[in-house]
Amino acid sequence: MTAVLQVALAGGVTGSLYGLLAVGIVLIYRTTGVLNFAYGAIAAVCACFMYVLLTGPRLNFWLALPLALIFAVALGIALERLFARPVLNAPVFTKAIATLALALVLQTVAQQIWPQLAQPEHFPSPFEGHATRIGGLYISAIGVTVLGVTAVVMVALALFLNRTRLGIAMRATADNQPVARLMGVPVGLVFPLVWALSAVVAALTGILFASQQAVIDVQFMDPLLILAFVAAVLGGLESLPGALLGGLIVGLTDSLLALVLAGRHVGALDVSDPGIRAALIFGGFVLVLLLRPQGLFGQAVLRKV
Amino acid sequence: MAAQQTPGSSASAPAPTMARLSRLAWVRGARVLTQGGGATFAVVALVLALLPTLFDGFFGFSAGFQLHRITLIGIFVIAAFAQNILTGYAAQASLGNAAFFGVGGYMLAWLTNDLGKPYWAGILVAVGVAAVVGILVGGPALRISGAYLAIATLGLVFVTVSLLDLWDTTAGRQNYDLSNLPALLTDDHTLYYTILVITVVLLWLGRNLLRSRVGRAWIAIRDSEAAAEAVGVNLARFKLLAFVVSAMLTGLAGALYATWATTASSSMASADQTIAFLTMIIVGGLGSITGSILGAIFVGFLPLLLGQLPSPLTIGSAQIQVSTLTTGIYGMLLLLALVFFPSGLSSLGGRGRALWTRLRSRAGGQP
Repeated sequence: MTAVLQVALAGGVTGSLYGLLAVGIVLIYRTTGVLNFAYGAIAAVCACFMYVLLTGPRLNFWLALPLALIFAVALGIALERLFARPVLNAPVFTKAIATLALALVLQTVAQQIWPQLAQPEHFPSPFEGHATRIGGLYISAIGVTVLGVTAVVMVALALFLNRTRLGIAMRATADNQPVARLMGVPVGLVFPLVWALSAVVAALTGILFASQQAVIDVQFMDPLLILAFVAAVLGGLESLPGALLGGLIVGLTDSLLALVLAGRHVGALDVSDPGIRAALIFGGFVLVLLLRPQGLFGQAVLRKV
Repeated sequence: MAAQQTPGSSASAPAPTMARLSRLAWVRGARVLTQGGGATFAVVALVLALLPTLFDGFFGFSAGFQLHRITLIGIFVIAAFAQNILTGYAAQASLGNAAFFGVGGYMLAWLTNDLGKPYWAGILVAVGVAAVVGILVGGPALRISGAYLAIATLGLVFVTVSLLDLWDTTAGRQNYDLSNLPALLTDDHTLYYTILVITVVLLWLGRNLLRSRVGRAWIAIRDSEAAAEAVGVNLARFKLLAFVVSAMLTGLAGALYATWATTASSSMASADQTIAFLTMIIVGGLGSITGSILGAIFVGFLPLLLGQLPSPLTIGSAQIQVSTLTTGIYGMLLLLALVFFPSGLSSLGGRGRALWTRLRSRAGGQP
């Protein structure tokens, strides 16, 4: 029983990371229609910036964090200006391909600026090596931090989107851009804001994941990205709580599969390999999509012809 | 037509038809050859046929090596055409073609190496297996579309890479080397001609397919799914067919790539490979055969051109390893193409002609 709880806890922590990424993906997709495959690269670049602040000038972690978040805001705004705006009116698929290209460019540039991060490097964080034991459960400091940050981000986003003028303007733009524009919503201001906001979420996720792994390189977010997309689609690609829930489902499934498959072999094949797990999760995801093409929590959309 | 018949050929009934047919074919052939497109075609065909000889004269020692590098472009043309059928014609947002590419290469390696099957049988089975994967992907695609399909197919690529990796580690190897290739295909000249012939035949078959009922149905689906369905196009059937045809062509390209490289590796099925295919059709031109060819040439030549740069490249005080730039440059080109040339290289010819006519009419003062 303790083993299952322990695994569920680990699943909840990685699930929160998937969920946070999914939330950022949904935030951009809903407002600008960009299916952002560069999201992992954005998170990685921000986390790499943090790493450079921590190791180069040897800044304190808590001093470097706000600087990394400011960097994320600047990166988000720059990407919106230079990248998202020129392709704003292209079809969804074209924009998705463009983000794949953007990911390559971001990673190449980051690798040229910080060549030391082409290989995995140790990521120092104050959470390292701290853990506690509650009733037989082993809980790491970074695990608690991930869960806490996820809760805070979700509450803050909900408050911002529902209670502030700017948040409501963002939701209006997401619902219907031309009408929002006619009602006096500064759409040109909302787009950079969405990108900045989601870049901040990306930076937080990247830094949390790097702290959890204690290892970082330019491409370290790639394995998370595709599962974050699975999470976002399970959540219906439109709803922020749905995205988080999708992330938790993916994370828990992954951990439970790892527990069930651990040490098992089929013939010469080691089924506890992460590749098999990814294939199983992905297969399940496609099955869910077949049964509910709009995702678990999405609503079917009527299309006008 | 009847008035031009020679008196002798009207003696029996089938003869005039035959004569007419042969004359028609002849006239059409002559027209193709004399018109602008035809002349270009003849020159291109001649150059392609003589390329090995030209290379021998030009490169001397390294001719075989250079020819081998150029041969890759033929394989890329097949893969780009396959992606274009799926994305440019049938408008299916597939990011998963690299999976077919990898599966084709690995199947060929497995069949010829481990099972000791003959090479061409291996090719056929590899194409067949790719077709099955195509059905597995295309089936769900009937219910999933747009953004959801893009994510699902990209997921397929990630899963395929990790499964192929797992296969490699389980079997205790780095790459899957093809040690059992027919001796003929290890010769640079034969390999070049084989791939040239396969590519040309496939392009010709593909062109005919695109002009047939099937191709028209795909284009109708692309332009408006609802309208296509309303005029009686069976959406499920033709979408699935697009996936299967694309998977088979890409699988064949993958098998040929493994032959070319004499090894298959899991990176063949990576997201980077998918991006390379997409770069080809977007830089070249969506929904265009010429576009597929131009895009493949472009992407194929890029590493060769970058290889001409001094490495490490020194800009100011910074030293840059050129090889680490390749994927970033693909990405940058893809972005620039998407923003500035949404219809690709293949549209440049038309634009150039339009500009030329306009300039000429202005200079001559004639409309």
